[in-house]
Formats: sequence, structure tokens, C-alpha cells
Amino acid sequence: MSTRLLLLTLTAFALSACEGPAPTAQSDAAHAEAGHDDDSNPHIALSPEQREAAGIAVADAGPAVIRETLPLYGVVAPNAERMRDVGARFPGVIRSATKQIGDPVRAGETLATVESNESLQTYAVVAPLAGVVTARHANPGEQTGDKVLFTIADLSTVWVELALFPRDVSKVRVGQQVRVRSTDTGHAGDGRIVYVAPFGSSNNQTLSARVLLDNAERRWTPGLYVSTAVTLREAQAPLAVRNDALQTVAGGPSVFVLGDEGFEPRAVRIGRADAEWSEVLEGLHPGERYATTNSFILKAELGKGEAGHDH
Amino acid sequence: MIEALLRFAIARRWVVLFLVALAVGVGLWSYQRLPIDAVPDITNVQVQINTEAQGYSPLEVEQRITYPVEVAIAGLPHLEYTRSLSRYGLSQVTVVFEDGTDIYFARNLINERLQQAKGQLPAGAEPEMGPIATGLGEIFLYTVHADNNARQPDGRPYDATALRTLQDWVIRPQLRQVPGVTEVNTIGGYEREFHVTPDPARLLAFGLSFDDVVGALARNNASVGAGYVERNGEQYLIRSPGQVTDIPSIGEIIVAHRGGVPVTIRDVAEVAYGKQLRTGAATRDGEEAVLGTAVMLIGENSRTVSRAIAAKLAEIGQTLPAGITADAVYDRTTLVEKTIATVQKNLLEGAVLVIAVLLVMLGNVRAALLTAAVIPLSMLMLVTGMVETQVSANLMSLGALDFGLIVDGAVIIVENCLRRLAEEQHRTGRLLATEERLHTVFAATREVFTPSLVSVLVVILVNLPILALTGVEGRMFRPMALTVIMALIAALILSLTFVPAAVALLLRGRVEEKENAIVRGARRAYAPVLDMALRFRAPILAGAVAFVVLCAWIGSRMGTEFIPHLDEGDLAVQALRVPGTSLTQSLEMQFQLERALRDVPEIATFFSRVGTAEVATDPMPPNISDGYIMMKDRSAWPDPGKSQEALAREIETKLEAVPGNAFEISQPIQLRFNELISGVRSDLGVKIYGDDLGQLLASGNEVARVLAGIEGAEGVKVEQVAGLPVLSVVPNRASLYRYGLNVADVQDVLAAATGGEQAGQVFEGDRRFNIVVRLPEQLRGDIATLSRLPIPLPQGGYVPLSEVATLDLAPGPNQVSRENGKRRLVVTTNVRGRDLGGFVAEARERIAQQVTLPSGYWLDYGGTFEQLQSASQRLTLLVPVTLAMIFALLLMTFGSAKDAALVFSGVPLALTGGVIALALRGIPLSITAGIGFITLSGVAVLTGVVMVSAFRDRLANGASLEDAIREGAMLRLRPILMVALVAALGFLPMALNTSTGAEVQRPLATVVIGGIVSSTLLTLLVLPGLYRMAWRRA
Repeated sequence: MSTRLLLLTLTAFALSACEGPAPTAQSDAAHAEAGHDDDSNPHIALSPEQREAAGIAVADAGPAVIRETLPLYGVVAPNAERMRDVGARFPGVIRSATKQIGDPVRAGETLATVESNESLQTYAVVAPLAGVVTARHANPGEQTGDKVLFTIADLSTVWVELALFPRDVSKVRVGQQVRVRSTDTGHAGDGRIVYVAPFGSSNNQTLSARVLLDNAERRWTPGLYVSTAVTLREAQAPLAVRNDALQTVAGGPSVFVLGDEGFEPRAVRIGRADAEWSEVLEGLHPGERYATTNSFILKAELGKGEAGHDH
Repeated sequence: MIEALLRFAIARRWVVLFLVALAVGVGLWSYQRLPIDAVPDITNVQVQINTEAQGYSPLEVEQRITYPVEVAIAGLPHLEYTRSLSRYGLSQVTVVFEDGTDIYFARNLINERLQQAKGQLPAGAEPEMGPIATGLGEIFLYTVHADNNARQPDGRPYDATALRTLQDWVIRPQLRQVPGVTEVNTIGGYEREFHVTPDPARLLAFGLSFDDVVGALARNNASVGAGYVERNGEQYLIRSPGQVTDIPSIGEIIVAHRGGVPVTIRDVAEVAYGKQLRTGAATRDGEEAVLGTAVMLIGENSRTVSRAIAAKLAEIGQTLPAGITADAVYDRTTLVEKTIATVQKNLLEGAVLVIAVLLVMLGNVRAALLTAAVIPLSMLMLVTGMVETQVSANLMSLGALDFGLIVDGAVIIVENCLRRLAEEQHRTGRLLATEERLHTVFAATREVFTPSLVSVLVVILVNLPILALTGVEGRMFRPMALTVIMALIAALILSLTFVPAAVALLLRGRVEEKENAIVRGARRAYAPVLDMALRFRAPILAGAVAFVVLCAWIGSRMGTEFIPHLDEGDLAVQALRVPGTSLTQSLEMQFQLERALRDVPEIATFFSRVGTAEVATDPMPPNISDGYIMMKDRSAWPDPGKSQEALAREIETKLEAVPGNAFEISQPIQLRFNELISGVRSDLGVKIYGDDLGQLLASGNEVARVLAGIEGAEGVKVEQVAGLPVLSVVPNRASLYRYGLNVADVQDVLAAATGGEQAGQVFEGDRRFNIVVRLPEQLRGDIATLSRLPIPLPQGGYVPLSEVATLDLAPGPNQVSRENGKRRLVVTTNVRGRDLGGFVAEARERIAQQVTLPSGYWLDYGGTFEQLQSASQRLTLLVPVTLAMIFALLLMTFGSAKDAALVFSGVPLALTGGVIALALRGIPLSITAGIGFITLSGVAVLTGVVMVSAFRDRLANGASLEDAIREGAMLRLRPILMVALVAALGFLPMALNTSTGAEVQRPLATVVIGGIVSSTLLTLLVLPGLYRMAWRRA
């Protein structure tokens, strides 16, 4: 009898020593989960020191100017309305050509003298407008025929030819302001759209648009590539937030609003946006304070229960 | 047979001593080869196959790389299972083999299969096997650090790129030469690259494409050997060096001619040193760092290797530029030495106490020293045995060694010999002749060898169930059981050969056997107590039974701990952030954590790995970081007595205050083990296999709902597979057609623009740096800019990316996990307050009823419950078998079931003391405590057999029952007290020590000391009465 008792107790001991359930680290994981139990209104309370250590900046929600732009590449071209091809009025022999390519000319300045074949009178060919000689097909002794002798271009304004892609066509209109930037020198200048072509090119599926750009300082050389940004709209948004405040929470854009109890994720509807600001249509009131820089840390704090290391 | 052995040992005593000396020699030699580590290696036999695939998303990695590799590996011999992970830019297939498979054999097989698979992999994807190492392999970590005023040769301060270059090309190649190092892994800093960043506008202006730039670089950067010419008997080698060497020479490469004007790289692009797109980074004390990890080859001795590394690193340090240091931040030697010091201290102090007890009780210096000599001798034999069976020396394997039990056999034999020799001398009144002496020793040994033999056999038998454990538990505890068994066998052999031989040799002349005051006092005190015990035997027995029942109740209510907590002295903090966190952000958050701990005075340094290292032994995504908090030596703490737990709690509080991170705090080795063993670590894991990730997730959520509804479920979790923000650029075929573009035209530009395209290398001696063509940083910045990325058209001009493709930002698969060649999703849960078996059965039933899986999808159940089930199945079978075997052994010894049962009855009473001692110290039940109980049952059987055999001898000589019991008990008082004191005092240092590693041995020592007390009381008080009751009735 005692043997059986002994057997039983020894078995009990051996088993209890050997097969107790293994305590594991899961309890840690379990309370890390607590963060997102209450989806309705989770608050992230941080002390000012914590906020500072985490580098979270806060700003007041308010109005902002939103400048929507469209970046496009373009080519500088001479302003075709300010170019003149100069020929000889009466065919004849060129007696002298006084202007070289690149010479600046004033309106009415003599470019060459021609001896008319019919009257054998020598007359002056003059520049029709002030500008620069860009082409010369005239040397003394040559027959003028019908050919163009000089091309004079007024480069005080230039065009920037843009190629508009179908998706962008509807956004671009005559009169919009355009910022032009040189890729090499970094110069920038402002112009306006003066023309949008009524028909497209089947070749590259684009419409051309034209920017009139002031070139009084002769920075813009026709033929060079430039980057441009077309300002599509510039509007005062009654309520806007900085872009670095926007975080994707639960599949949509949200802003972390600072309340009495801490930061609270607030789903917002976003309207217009530029590189810096986004207009808020819904979900935020003017004057509310929201997290800007390092707002991701708040998102991380909110979702840290989901973080896991699965192999 | 044993008698013949005894006779031989005594007759040929010099031969025996010679053999023992030989064993000592072998033992010392083996000691040099004994792998020493802090903790047992619990890693399974596994090979990691890592394939890097620059720029591939998880889905593409799975489709193009993981799948072919898995198919190639399938069906290997001894394969247990494969699991795989497909992440951004990385495929990792982990192949796990059955325990005991030779790692080199396994790697050979894999290598062979990989050769076949290579043809199916995308160009440039090269599968590589991970280092030949185990979870204990990361033995040495160091950071490369620059002083504030250190300057590079060109006068710039050292930045992360320059430090990384030093690590890659100066430190790492040298460390890899250290014997025993299989890999030196690097994380942190940036690999230096030459970046060619073309401006899309200029490319457009010249009508050039990315490909033109890449092509020009490739065609203008090679040295060619062109054979030789002979001239006047001489031979001239011809070579044409055409490699670029620096930034200006790259800039001068000509890309195209436009109108007779050469267009050079410089005209269309910036050329500069750049930073690679990295997958991981390292930090130390709040700053960016370059971290090197030396990985030890399997089976090497970690102490030797890490010492060699430290020496090499110091040597390299001399040759580094001024102001640059490579500091060891984690050195396994420290831990191993601390642990070994603890073990040594325990062993030494125990041995001293044991010798003291022997001296006092035996009153004979020679006899005491001879007995004590059994300890080092059996240890040396054990070392030989450990080397042969490839068991490493560590806390667990050495921690369960019990000198008490080792010397018990010898104690009893020596004591008996001494007593008999003295009696004999007394009787004859002269010194004994050699012949007489030898005979007396033989007779005395034969008289008592049965108890020691039986007790050792009992302990071996009780250890058998532990040998049957498998998996992690097996790897952890089998070495422990093996060591105990080997040590006992060694001790048994010694006490049957060496001890009698040495007794015969040493104890000649006048045998001093003083009954000293303690023993005399004990005898005087015992006589009346024994009388009482015999008179009130029934109440005492009833009390004993009641006590056993009480202790069983206490035992059943104690906390349990399966695997004991090994205190490594340092902490590991795994910080987890939301999936999708970028490396830069994660790094910034890690800095914040490290800064938060700057003012904790106990911390020496805090360093971390964020993301994946160069060799992806641990493929962490960038949102996870492994931090190591290294503690100062306790003496440098403001309060050296502060407990590790208190410090850990303090650190945790400080870390919790930093927003945005979740933590798992563990210890460096523990963390690494968890990562390597991985699998499912919860109580129950439901694995869903199938093809479609969405369907898997849906089914997973369904299963999770069912599980959460079952009583006892806690922390139900669905594996995180989604949530990585993915920007899909889907080419629009209609508009591609309009522009005459191919899909590849768009994809190539996109890949080159964002990821960069490698276009050759620049060589500087051994060092080589990639030339990468990539878009300028400001153009890769945001989606709006990317959507305007110009795609050059075949007929000239360009079209923005958004015109020919749809850009869609949505969460995508974070990673694709597979197991055994199929996609897999795991739902895990823990079970609290309910038996696991019942929970699993209910879960199976409920899931089968309520969850319908589409065809082609199936479920599998895994988790800790599997191990628990298999372990308890084995144990429920083996424990009764073992007990029956012990009983049979006793039956064989005594030839009487009654005597056997009487001895056996000592076991539960012995255990009671252990339970009480644990309860008093508040230590939970654990396997180490279990080992203590095993030892106890051995001791209890030993003393019981000693006692009962004395009774039987007296009875056989015709004494009355009462006299036989009284005389026998008085006679055996001294050996029993000695055995008890030796065992208890031998463990005393272990029970009280607090240094590194002591916590593993503490439960064991506590149990044994407590148990010895109760067991001795039992043998001296209960057993005589019980014996009388048992035989009186007969």
C-alpha cells in the first residue's frame, strides 16, 4: 500500500518538476497590445520633456497660401514676334555689309548697302527693329536675289516652349504665372503663359504652350533646356496644415491634434496641396494645435502594439 | 564480477594507481580541448541560405528566388523542415536538419542543390549559405570609433563612410584570419560608393538616356592584358591600363558626340562620393556607429577564440590611423570567465568543506584526503567523457554536479575500512600484516559497496527520463543529465578500484580512528532518541505520512519555471516600431532611446543594430532594432548590491517614457537563441497554409476570432504580414503604345532613378568601390517629383512617368513567410488558467466547425503545446518505468520486497525537505530543482540501503530484531551523518552564492540541502521504527 503511495507521490513530483508550463516572454507582447485596444478615442499623453526629447513640434492650424504648381521641361526659343528677316527691296549687288553676326543694332541702323540692278542706285538696307544680328547671308559683291540677308532678333524677351502632356492640358491656361529655372546656372525668372496651342502633335502626344519671359539681362539663350514650374492656382486656404503633419492612420490621412489629454489622431479630408501646405476640408478646426515635425513618432506610439518580429 | 574487480584492485594496487595517473593525464589533456561556454547551445542543426536581390519587393523575391531555392532543397536526407522569409531585397531560406546531422554534410548537400538552382535565379542573385555557426556564435562585437580631431589624409574628419571603409578593408580582412572565426559581419556606416547623378534635364538636352551613361562608364573602365611581344630576345608584356581611379577621371569619360563636341559625364551629371542605399545601421550611445561582429565557427572554444580576437584587434589597433580606435563592446570571455569563476568557486569551497567534514568525522588525515581526492579525479575523468561525447562545459552541464553524491560511495567505503582496520588492530593488539590488511580492506569494501552501487544506479535511472527529452529542452538538459551520469560512473569506478587500492596502500601502520567529540556527542544524543523513535513508531510514522501529504500539497501550489533564467549580466532590448518605419526614422528613434539611458550610472555602453547587417544572419526589417546594454562591473555601481531585476525595471521605465517604441527586454544570448530557434514561441500556433495572401489573412482573422472566444485564450495575435507602404508604379500599356515605349523602358529608368544602377568599380589596391548611376537625391525625394520623372522617348523628347504609368501608394505585403514550401500565416495564442491539452482539443473542434477554408488551404497546429505534449507523453511512460526499475534494483539487492519497499519509502520523505526549502526561499520549481530531487532520491536510497543492510547483517548473525535495529542504527550513525554533511555542506556555497551564473545552481543546491536534512531525519528516526513494524508482524 505504501509502495503505491510512494509511486504516486514520486510521479507527482517528477511530473510537476518536469512539465510545468513554460513561462515565456509573451506577457510582454500582450501588454504592448494595450495601445490600440480602444480604437474610438486613443490619446497619446506626453510630457513636455518627452515631447522635446522626441523632437515633436506643434503648430496652430490656420490659413495659408497654397500654390499649386506643375513642373515641366522647356526649351528657350527666340520670341518669333520680335524677329525680322531683312531682305533687299530691289534686287541688286551688295556693295557693303556693315554688321556682323552678333552685332547689336538699333532700329533704322544701316545693315548693308545694295546697288539696285534696275536703277543702279545704291540704297541702304536698315534694321527694322532694335536687336541682335543672328544671321547674315550678305557679303559684298553677292547678288541679293530674293534671299534673306540678315536676321535680327530682339532678345529682350524670349519664349519658353513647353510640351503639355494630355493629363496636364486642362490645367494650363493663358495668363498663368511660370517660374523658369536654368539647370546649369541656377538663374530663375518669372513669365506668363501667352499661348496654348489649339492642336496637338501626333508625334509626341503633346500640346505646346508658350511662356513669354523677360530677358533684359540676356540670361536666357535660345536653344537651351530649362525647368519650369507653372503656377496653376494660388489661393488662400482658410485652413491648412503643414505636409509633415500628415500621417496615414487606418488607411487615410490623419493629423495628430494636441488636446488636454494629449495627442489624438484625427482623420482629415485634404483639398488642395502644394509642396509645403495641405488644405484641410474636414476634421480640423482653426486654432487647434497639431503636431508637425516628427509626427511619425506619434503614429509609431499609436501603433506600437502591432510591431512584431516574425521570422 | 565486482568482487573480482575489488580483489584485483587491492592485489594490484600499484597498477590501479598507475591507471588512475594515466586517467589524470588524459583528463588534463582533454581539459585543453573541452569547449567551454556560459550556457548550453540550444540551436538546432540549421543552414541559412541568404540571397540578396537588390530592389526586389517581397512578392518578387518570393516568386523569383525563394521558390526556386526551396524547390531545390526539398527532399534532402535528414531534412526536418524548411522555412523561408521573403523581404525587400532579401530571400532567406532556413533549412533545419534532424538533431545530430553533421553540419558539414548538410552544407555539402545544400551546396550541391544550390548549384542546380542557380540557373533559375535572376541574374545577379547569388545564394549564399550563412556562417557555420550556432546561436552562441556571436562572441565578439566591436565598434570603430574616431576621435573628434582625427582627420582623413585629405583633411576631412572621419565620417560613417570613412570608418566603414576602414572596417571593411583594414580590420575585417585581418580578423577573418583568426583561427576559429568563420565570419566577421558588419553593420553601420555606409559603404563608400562613387555616385554619378545625371540631371534629367541635361540628359534630355543632349538626347541621352541613363543607359547611355551606364554604358559609357562600362566601356571606359577596364584594364586589358594583351599578351606579349618579343624583341631582341626579350619578352615584353603588354597591358593597357584604362581603369578610372578617382572622381575627375570618371567625369572625363565621354558619353556621346553632339555636333562634333564630346559630351562628357561631367556635362550631364555630378560625380561625387555617395552613400549606399543601406538596409541596416548601427548606433552606440546615441550616435551613429560602425559595428563589427566576429562569429565563431561551430564547435570551437569560445574563450580561446574571443581571446585571440581581442589580441588581434589590439594588434590591428596599432596600425589604424591616429585617432581611430576599435573598441570591444561585447566579449563573450567576460561572461564565460565570470561563470566559470562562479562554478570554480562553488566547487572549490564545496571541496574544502567536504574535506573539513571528512577530517572531523573520520579523524584520519590520510583517509580524509584520500576520500577528497575522488572529487578532482572523477572531475578529470568526467572531462574526458565530456570531450568524447561532445558535451560542452557550461553553467547547466557543470551546475548540477554534486560532490556530495560523488564522494558518498567513497565516504562509506573509507569509513567502513577505517572502522574495520581499527577494530582489527584493536582485536589483535598489533599492527596488521600486509595480507591481513588487504583482506580486511577487501572485506570492508565488499560489505558496503552494494549501497554505493545501488545509489549510483538509482541516480542514473532517475536521470533517464531527462535523456529522453527532445528539442530545445533536450539540448538544454541532456548535457546536464549526461554530465551527472558520467561523473557518477567515474566516481563509482574510482570508489571500487582507486579507493580500496589507495586505502590498502596508505592506511598502514597504526590506524588512527579517533571517535571525536562530535561523533561521540552525536551517538550519545542519538541513543535516547532512537529509543523514543522505536517506542512511538506509530505516531511518528503517521506524522511522517501527514508531512508528505502536506508537502505534496505545497509542491502542487508552487510556481513553475521550465527553463531557468540564466543571468548574463547584460541586457538586450529589442525595440519594435510600426512596420514601414524607415531606416532613418528608426535610427533617429534609436538615438532617442540611447540618449534616454545616458545618465544611468550602471551602464557602461549601449549599442544597437537597426535593420539587417551585411550578412543577413538575422534579417530584421528597418523598423526593428536589437540593442545591447552592457553593464559596468558591479564594483563600479553606485549601489553594488542592486539586483539585476531592479535595474532592468528602472531601465524599462526610462525606455517606456520614449514614445513610439514597443520593447522586449531579454539578454544578448537569449535574444539570439530566440531569433534562431524562432518557430512558434506561443503555447498554441495555428498555421494556415495557402496561396493567396489576402485569403490567408482573412482566414487568419477568422481563426483568431474563434480562438479569442475560447475560454483561457490570452493574447491572440495574427502574424503581421501586411502594412509595408508600397508605391506601385503600374505601367499603362495604352499610353506606352502611344509613345512607342516598352514596359522595360519605363521600369529601367525607374529602377536606375530610385535604386541606382551599378556601372563598374573603382579599384584602390585591394579596396574596390562601386560606381553607381542614380538620380540626384532631391529628385528621388517625394512622390510628386517621382511622378514627373522624365522617360526619354525613342524619337527624342520625354514623357513624364505619371503619363505612362499609374502611381499607387497602398500598404503591401511586409514579408512573405513560407514553411515547407508553402505560404504560411500563423495565428498564435497563449493559454492561461486552463490545461493546454483541453484547450487545444476544443480549439481544433471549434475551428473545424466554424472556419471553412477554400480548397487548397489547410491548417496545422504547432507551438509549445507540441513539445509539452510529447514531453509529458514520454515522461508519463518513462517515470513509472524508471520507478519500477528502481524498485526492481532494490528487490535484487535485498531479495525481499519488504526491505526494498522500506528503502523506497525514504524517497518521498527526502523530497519533502527539498520542497520546504524551496518554499522557504521562494524559488519556483524548475528542471534544475528537479535534478536536485533526482539527486535526493539517490541519497535517500543510499542511506536507506546502508541502514537496512546493517539491520539485515545483524539479523543474519542471529541478533534479535530489537537489538539488530538498535546496534545497526548506532553503527551506521557516523556514515549517514557524514554522507549528509558532505552532501549538504558541499552544496552550501552554491546555495548562497550570488555571482554570475549562481541563479541556475541555486535551486538545485537548495533542494539538496533541504532534502538531506529531512532524509537524514527519516533514516535515523522513521526507518528503524518502520523496519520494526514491518518485520514484527511477519
